[in-house]
Amino acid sequence: MAEDLYSVLGVAKTASADEITKAYRKLAKKLHPDLNPGDTAAEEKFKEISSAYSILNDEDKRGQYDRGEIDASGQERPEARYYREYAGGPEGTRYRSSAGYEDMGDFSDLFGDMFSGGAGMHGAGMHGRGQRGGARFSMPGQDAQYHLDIGFLDAVNGTKTRITLPDGSTLDVTIPPGVTGGQVLRLKGKGHPGLGKGPPGDALVEVGVKPHPVFTREGNDIVVDLPISLDEAVLGGKVEVPTIAGKVAMTVRPGASSGQTLRLKGRGVKGKGDQLVKLNVTMPETIDDDLKRFIEEWKQTHAYDPRRTMKEQA
Amino acid sequence: MLTEEDIVARVSRLTVTRLRVFVSQGLIKPEAVRPEDVAPPGYSEADLARAALICNLEDEMGFNEDDVPVLLSLIDQIHGLRSELRGFVEVVEALPPEVRTTVRLRIEQRRRG
Repeated sequence: MAEDLYSVLGVAKTASADEITKAYRKLAKKLHPDLNPGDTAAEEKFKEISSAYSILNDEDKRGQYDRGEIDASGQERPEARYYREYAGGPEGTRYRSSAGYEDMGDFSDLFGDMFSGGAGMHGAGMHGRGQRGGARFSMPGQDAQYHLDIGFLDAVNGTKTRITLPDGSTLDVTIPPGVTGGQVLRLKGKGHPGLGKGPPGDALVEVGVKPHPVFTREGNDIVVDLPISLDEAVLGGKVEVPTIAGKVAMTVRPGASSGQTLRLKGRGVKGKGDQLVKLNVTMPETIDDDLKRFIEEWKQTHAYDPRRTMKEQA
Repeated sequence: MLTEEDIVARVSRLTVTRLRVFVSQGLIKPEAVRPEDVAPPGYSEADLARAALICNLEDEMGFNEDDVPVLLSLIDQIHGLRSELRGFVEVVEALPPEVRTTVRLRIEQRRRG
């Protein structure tokens, strides 16, 4: 905001009120956020020219500014709410035009009809890769390929990381949640430079996922082997279970057996899968006399055969 | 729901007469009222932002009154398109990773000509 207001509008300090308005209008038509939906750079620029204009368009304020009595940021307008903020939402439905998709081939009957428009645009860059063609001796740069090993939890939950390339330069990489080993991330324009006006190539980062001692992944489900004690198995109770998003409490029913699998809904990858908890009844490290005596007595009157069905079948 | 008065109070240089012109031109479509209703038409926050945009186009940017319906129609078409595109992107994103990658690659290839 420290920039000179006249240069923001691209006019001379001696410009007439009319010239200032003309310059502002020309820029506003180009940069107004409602004429550039989805473009935040234009919005920033527009804010600058608007606040410059709000001072220079006002004879008193312009005088104050010229005399150094107020600075360039002297006049902050209240945050404007643009139509585009509503246009994609439910309130904008009635204004969104669904006319004219007859030229869309097999999909023409789908458009203007099917999608009712949800929340925000996914994936930021809708800007494409710039102009086609360009100067005659221009050529896009080569893609550069890299491999990056990341931890299991980083792959599942997503993360941002800075990688250092063989040439010593660094690259900021956003790992999307749920990435799987072998998946390739494409970083636009981060490859080798182009020739002439040709755009740079992309960096292709192939992701490797290191195994985790506790978690394994099956599709969107996370599988965990959970040791439980003899008393927990017999009496049931709440046990603490690690998940990819931290520990949770899980109820084990009385009489749980090894191999039994409990499902923690929505605790899988990106909330899409579940966490499957395989119980594993684990004996105490030493079987003491108390336990031995108790089981011996118990067995006299409560013996059972867990292999009964097995014997019938084989 | 906002009333005519609310809208006029919150948009500089907007008068009731001017707002009614916008409505009669179909540039703003307040919540419909049936003939038997006594309540005045209600405006949404989107209608408010839209009224501000129209004033902005005419007053600050100096567009001609006759141009504004054309501009709004184009803006509405863009939002219609963006909404379709968003829906399309959501559908593609829900596809299995291999299919998604194929779609991406095809689009990139196409762009390069």
